[in-house]
Amino acid sequence: MENKESIEDREIRTWKSKLLGAWIFVVPIAILMVFERLLGIMIFSSNLMVALLLILGFPVVFIFGFSTIKSGFRGLFTFYFNMDSLIALGTVIAYLTGILFFFMEVADYSGVSSMIMAIFITGKYIETKAKGRASQEIKKLLELGAKKARVLRGKEEIEIDISEVKIGDVIIVKPGEKIPTDGIVVKGESAVDESMVTGESIPNDKLKGSNVIGATVNQDGILYVKATKIGKDTFLAHIIDLVEEAQGTKVPIQKLADKITGVFVPIILALAVLTFGGWMILGNDVGRSIGIAISVLVIACPCSLGLAVPISLMVGSGMGAKRGILIRKGEAIQTMKEVKIILFDKTGTITKGKPEVTDIKTFGKTSERYLLEISASLEKLSEHPIAKAIVNKANLLQGGVLHKGAKKYKSVKGFKILRGRGVGGKIGNKSYVIGNRLLMNEKNISLKGIEKFVEKFEEEGKTTMIISEGKNVIGAIGVADAVKDDSKRAIQYLNYKGYKTVMITGDNERTAKAIASQVGIKEVIANVLPEDKAKKVMDLQRRAMVAFVGDGINDAPALKQANVGIAMGSGTDIAIEAGDLVLVKSSLTGVIQAINLSKATFSKIKQNLFWAFAYNVVAIPLAVAGILHPVIAEIAMALSSITVVSNANLLRRKRI
Amino acid sequence: MKKKILIEGMHCASCGNNVEKSLKKVPGVSEVTVNVMAKKGFVEVDEKVSDEELKKAVERAGYKAVEIN
Repeated sequence: MENKESIEDREIRTWKSKLLGAWIFVVPIAILMVFERLLGIMIFSSNLMVALLLILGFPVVFIFGFSTIKSGFRGLFTFYFNMDSLIALGTVIAYLTGILFFFMEVADYSGVSSMIMAIFITGKYIETKAKGRASQEIKKLLELGAKKARVLRGKEEIEIDISEVKIGDVIIVKPGEKIPTDGIVVKGESAVDESMVTGESIPNDKLKGSNVIGATVNQDGILYVKATKIGKDTFLAHIIDLVEEAQGTKVPIQKLADKITGVFVPIILALAVLTFGGWMILGNDVGRSIGIAISVLVIACPCSLGLAVPISLMVGSGMGAKRGILIRKGEAIQTMKEVKIILFDKTGTITKGKPEVTDIKTFGKTSERYLLEISASLEKLSEHPIAKAIVNKANLLQGGVLHKGAKKYKSVKGFKILRGRGVGGKIGNKSYVIGNRLLMNEKNISLKGIEKFVEKFEEEGKTTMIISEGKNVIGAIGVADAVKDDSKRAIQYLNYKGYKTVMITGDNERTAKAIASQVGIKEVIANVLPEDKAKKVMDLQRRAMVAFVGDGINDAPALKQANVGIAMGSGTDIAIEAGDLVLVKSSLTGVIQAINLSKATFSKIKQNLFWAFAYNVVAIPLAVAGILHPVIAEIAMALSSITVVSNANLLRRKRI
Repeated sequence: MKKKILIEGMHCASCGNNVEKSLKKVPGVSEVTVNVMAKKGFVEVDEKVSDEELKKAVERAGYKAVEIN
């Protein structure tokens, strides 16, 4: 990690020293040229003057400009043309005119040659610095990681370098310190500020068994953390890789720009030759024709074209990373503009994803305790979140009796999971089923008497589990998954912005509608089995472009099917490989931020592409027409790349 | 298999294009993204492709692969 940072700093330093060196020679050259060429005052004879310019110019072009000349000519010979090829050719030809001057009648451009190189180097220096600013968020992410860790070795606490931490080491993290690496809390309790990774400002409570993320900050208690992931396997390292890879991905709009940059340099080379030939044919002298051809070589700027998209993407994705929004595919920010329908998964996306028992209704002589004991004994065997809610409730009510000894649970024979409907089994000699309406109908169990309670639960947005003993209903349990605090606000905003919001869920229509109306969603797709979600996305796509928001773990196919897949989850619980955009926080306002960020980044990309195209379209013909002096041409070229990079940096002013 | 290549010497967008082109020519390389600004290339390769081949491809385009992992 430190390696990367030093490469960048070294690059800025190198350009800076080249810049200083070049200008020390170019300033006297410029003074000489102003006196002679502009004011017409001859200080030296013209032979001596040219010789001086050649001597002073040599170090500028061939020493300070060495790397540019080398890479440019290698590009020319290997046909891997690059930006340097144009500058290298332009400056070397200009320099050679100075030598030719002694042998034939030709205008001398050797002074111009070193000025071009000096301006080029200056431009590169400014550009490199601006690029450093563009990547500052990523750099901050890289710097986030702790450098040292205090680990427990035997009974002793020793401080070691982060690179020496091994999986399984127990790390002691004091209040105010950074958690050095990903791990699990084995002792202690504290709140941890995870904002640097998730963008969420409220600290999360951590206790024994909680997962913690490396680089987050421990607030007020001492935590003993067992390292579970180290080095390049940590969450932070994954995020950095993901963001950096995404920055290299293509945005469809850049296709044309890419095609042009691919052939740009050879075309300009050809154009320069044609320009030279053309001016000669028109009866101009060799000197003037060479000067104009040099202008053409140095004014063309494939850089601004090539940089327009990646530099904007870099600033945008950096801004996102800081807020817990990861742009994984550049394409998504363009597609986002076309999206009309936003489809939300219910559980875990609109709701907290942690169902709780809210109502217990018993029938006949059944006691609440008995109902819960029976239900918990059966549901204990299921992994479903609703089953867990019932088991938790039973534990809570009975002071943990059920929790302590499994023998308090009744033993179940012939347990069956009835997918999407419920569970069933025998306790003693009685058979029980717990499940939804569908299951009761299937088993021919009459809901008479309980119907109105079930409907009431459903209207309140609760999932209702009906319990029957033999053919008789003995009670019903209402389970609610509370809506997240900001779901309503986020969805209302999206509605207001003109998006069609839709909710998809496995729940029945009535429960689904109740939740949907709580948050302001009008269209609901209910009773959907998990494997059918992708198909439902496809159905919606017939109407318009669809963005799907889901947890990334169960919804991977739907995320993939959607035009833009937005995966969300909190902290390390998220599958960051799913989705085109990933929200490392669980609040729906992140969706709004992601949309705003995508739009802002995309409009910056368009702006930059426009300027880059416009610059080349205007500047190159001017150069061909012989209107621009080579030095002016070079200044224009340097400015155009700097403009593109600085304009991208302006994106940061945008409020997301 | 995904591989990350740290590349030195890329300074403009044409450079990124060059590296990308050269890496794509290596048989067994399926996906290439080059991030000029982060100085990194990301490639999807099958097991047959050796680090040496990737390194050579980067060098053929005129740049230096400092690290592959």
